[in-house]
This record gives sequence, C-alpha cells and structure tokens, in this order.
Amino acid sequence: MSAVVEARRVTRLFPMAAGPVAALRDVSLRVNAGEYVAISGPSGCGKSTLLHLVGCVDQPTSGEILFEDRDVAVLPESERSRIRLMRIGFVFQRFFLLPMLTARENIELPQAEAGGAAADRRARTRELLEYVGLADRADHLPSQLSGGEMQRVAIARALANRPALLVADEPTGELDEQTGEQVADVFDRVHADGTAILVVTHNPALAARASRRVTMRSGSLVS
Amino acid sequence: MTSLGLAWRTTKRYRVRAVLAVIGVAIIGALLFDMLLLSRGLLDSFADLLSSSGFDIRIVGSEGVPIVRFPIDGSTRLAADLRALPEVRDVVLIRVERATAQVNGRTPRDVTLVGTTQTGGGPWTIVKGTNLPSASSSSDRCPMLIARRLAAALGVVPGSVVDLSVRPAGIASALPAIACRAVGVVNFAFAATDEDSVATTMIALQDALGLAAEAPRAKAGQLQAADADLVLVASRPAVGSAAAVRAIERLRPDLRVYSNEDVIAQFNQNGFAYFRQISLVLSSLTMTFAFLLVATLLTVSVNQRLGEIAALRALGIRRARIASMLLWESALLVGGGGLLALPLGGLLALALDHILRQMPGLPERLHFFVFNWRAVTTHLVVFGMTAAAAAAYPVWLTARLPIAETLRREVVG
Repeated sequence: MSAVVEARRVTRLFPMAAGPVAALRDVSLRVNAGEYVAISGPSGCGKSTLLHLVGCVDQPTSGEILFEDRDVAVLPESERSRIRLMRIGFVFQRFFLLPMLTARENIELPQAEAGGAAADRRARTRELLEYVGLADRADHLPSQLSGGEMQRVAIARALANRPALLVADEPTGELDEQTGEQVADVFDRVHADGTAILVVTHNPALAARASRRVTMRSGSLVS
Repeated sequence: MTSLGLAWRTTKRYRVRAVLAVIGVAIIGALLFDMLLLSRGLLDSFADLLSSSGFDIRIVGSEGVPIVRFPIDGSTRLAADLRALPEVRDVVLIRVERATAQVNGRTPRDVTLVGTTQTGGGPWTIVKGTNLPSASSSSDRCPMLIARRLAAALGVVPGSVVDLSVRPAGIASALPAIACRAVGVVNFAFAATDEDSVATTMIALQDALGLAAEAPRAKAGQLQAADADLVLVASRPAVGSAAAVRAIERLRPDLRVYSNEDVIAQFNQNGFAYFRQISLVLSSLTMTFAFLLVATLLTVSVNQRLGEIAALRALGIRRARIASMLLWESALLVGGGGLLALPLGGLLALALDHILRQMPGLPERLHFFVFNWRAVTTHLVVFGMTAAAAAAYPVWLTARLPIAETLRREVVG
C-alpha cells in the first residue's frame, strides 16, 4: 500500500538558552493511504512535534518528511501551504474556528482558498454538515455551539477539500467522555470512507479505535 | 469569503475596539484635515481676495510694495498710457488716505478713505443703496460708500451727509472738511474687521485734498488728478497677466509691477512659510499618533489571535490572504476614522477660523481655513499610507509566525 506520508529518521531539536533540547530523536513513521494511526504517550514525549512535522507545519532538524513521495524540506512555503490546503486536514484540540464566521462559513473558508466555485462550496458544505450531524447548526456562530459541536465543525472544515490525510492533535482533549465518543465516531466514519488519519491522543478510548497504535516516550517511538 | 469580508466580520466582532479606534482616528484625522486646510487656507483666501477685485495686476511706485505704498507721479497719464496697451482691458487708480468722519456733531471717527476711479462695482459688496456713480453721470460733489459697521456707529444710511477731513500722512495740515453724501452701505473686502473705511471717487478725494479749483477740469479729464498710490490693471483674458506685466514694465520700467500670482508667490515665500512649517510639523505629529494608535490596536488584536492565525496557516490559508485581511482591517479602522474626520475637521475648522479671525487688522474676508479638494485628496492619500504603515508590523508578525510553535504554545497556554 502506498504511503501518504513518511517520516524517515527525523530529529527535531529546539534551541534553548541552556542548549538545544531534542523533542524527537531519529523517529521513523509511515502512514499509508486509508490507514488510521494513533500516537499516544506522556506529555512532552514529542507526539505533537511529530504530528506537526507530518502535517508539514514544521521542518525536522535532520531526517526527511515525504508527503506523497515528495520531500517536503525542498518545497517552498507556498507549496507546503498548498499541500496543507489540498491534501491535509488539521483538527486541533482547541478547535480554532474563526469566531466571527458561522459553522457554514468556517467550512467554506478552505474551499474558497482552494478556488472552489460558490455553488460547489455550498453543496460540499451542506454535505459535510450532514456528515457530522450538524445540518441544523449551519448558521450558528462558534459561540452558539457546544464543544463537541465545534469540534465536529472543525472536522468538517478539515475535510472540506477532500484531504488524503487527516491529522488531529488531542481532538477530544477539551471534551467530556460522551462528547469525545461522538467525535471518535466521526473519525471512524472518516476512516471508513478511506481517508488516512493520524491522531495524537491521551484518550485510550480514541486510540483503541485506530487500526495501528504507536507509543512514544522521550522523543522516540517505543512500540 | 473575501479578505475584505473577513476583515469586516472581525471588525464587527470586536465592535467596541473598532468604534474606539474609529473615534480616535477621526479626532486625529480632523486635526490633520485642519492642518491641511490651514497650510493652504490663508494663501487661497488671500488669492481669492486679490482676484475678487477683478484686476490681476498691481502697480506701485518704485519705493513701495503692494502693501506699503507711496504716490505714483503722473498716475493719470500712466492710466491713459496703460489703457492704450493692447494687453490691457481696464485700469483703476486708487489712493488711500487717513481721514476723520463726522455726522451731525457726533464724535468724529478716524477712517481709512479710499479714493478710486472704479465705479459701478469694486472690491466691496453693497448692503444698502447703490455703487459709486461714474464721474460723468454724477452731480454729487462727493459720493461716498461707507462700511456697514461705521454706518451703524454713525447712524448713516444712503442719503446721509458725512463731513470728511483728510489728514495726509506725515504732513501737518488743517484741510477743511467736505460734505460727502453716502450713496451706499457696503462690506469692504480688504478692510480689517476693526477698520472703519469709506470710499469715494478720485475726483472727490482730490477735492478733499484741497485741490477743489482743479476738480472740474480733472473731472473732464483735462487735468492730472491727485496721484494714485496704487494702479490696478486687468489684463485681457486672451493675453494673460504675464504678458501684460511685461508690456507694462517696458512702458514704465521705473515702476514695480506685480501680477496677483507674483504677490501670492511673495506672500507664500515670506509670511506664509511659517504657517506651512507649523502645519507640516503638526500634520506629521497627528499622523504619527494615528499610525501608533492603529498599529497598537492591530498588533494587540493579532497577538490575541495568534492561535487562530496559526491554525489558519496550518489549514493552508496563504500568508498573502492573512496579510490582506489585516490590511483591510487597518483600512476599515483608518478609513472609517478618516472619512468621519472630514465633517468633524470641517466643523472644527469653522470654529478655529472664527477664533483666528478675531485678530485685529485682518481683512474681513480673509480666512485661515479654506476648503479645497487638494486637502481632501492629500488627507485620503496620507490616511491610506498610514493604514498600510500601521498594518505593516502586524502583517510582518503573522508572515513570520512559526505555525507549530504557536500552536504548541496556545495549547500549553
């Protein structure tokens, strides 16, 4: 099966006053098309750093990130931005919906950035709102939605341009158990529909739903 | 949604901040607009005042300047020679003297007496009565126009008789008073707000100067009247003032000839330079305040939204799009304030102009703040530049925003 993204022996050092700190050391990870991978481990072990590298928002100090067989390091920022827009969907712990836009407008935003026609955007947005069970909340502002609803809108936004990979950083971190389950159900559907998922989570219930679980400790993969 | 749409929504969301910013910019902008009006206002008003006389060239004696003047020898002959020039359409002689005006035994008033050959109109507006009659049509020995304020003080109406005694400068004299009849009550364009002025014909002035015996012959154009200290010339429109000035200089190289443009240019270079410098300094200061206000607001706003912006970048929204959104936000705040500043500045200019015009010695029609489209255009251009400059730092901040580090910090924070 082809890899959507592959991290090859990546190391990420952060410069600090007392000397560089290694967040990742010689880590390799491959996420295949349609695969559902969960990364867990204690806080500060480098999970989010790895996710950011795989999600093309950060660059490794050494090693390679190949996204759909392209070396991300050699690409200009504009091209990496294009990959993030068209091929990767991001879901954040704190949702980061634009507070002044409705649910519908938040989902339309990446589509508009990709240059989608207005009619296509509206149709895709309607489809995604139904997909995450929020068709009746289309015109609500984030402040009028619950945490679980906001996260489902964020997932719909991440799926707006039909990405090959959905990356999620602690997507249930701000949610209670029951709401977290609803979000996990949406991830299951996304996976079932063929989109690869890489999720970083402390939530064992969410990690258990992944087809592959990876554990990290002190900047390295341990299993 | 367009960048403008996003900026508008952001502005609406942070409504209080936006309203405060717009008010702040409007107040600063009003001051800037007033500085721009002030920087040209006096000059424009002065130019308007000069052109209101209908004459575009001034001739004074070689010892004089347009403001402080000495009599020009043979000015009647000069007027005839000037009229013969093809570049000249009209010529008027003016002489100004100090005089005393008295009505029916009331307390005499010191006045500025203007003698002019200009009849049927001049640098005044009729409030009551008529203009000075032409020399040939008048049977009045001394027809007179009187300033409105003086007329009210002396109880003069058209038809009233006023005794005028001329007091030539630098000469101890006791010239007898002549009885002048007020034909009109007027507002003099050049008169200061606190100045009592009257105008009469050159013939009548000559009479008042004690040359009565020669007056009938002067009236018939056979004799040189009292010398004028200023000659106003209107050039033919097809020729223009520059060509007319050259022709007059060739005719009488001993005189000083100024076009209105020359007078304004001199005024601009000398007396007005201070106004321009003050205006420039104050304009720069006000724009610095506008820049600092908007830059601070946008920077604070961006710092509050760093997580949101990093998330947008992670979603693939381009830097240019975010920069454009911030520029629009700045444009909305500065633009809103800038537009509001125009009527606000206009009202403030009216109030300031009213205060400044209370200064003694200023012509009544002279204004410090004069509306002109150039000031509006400059105001808008300067505000556009300020909006761009104010957005520059927040845009730079977002352009170099480390996405991963910001997202991490937001979660930890």
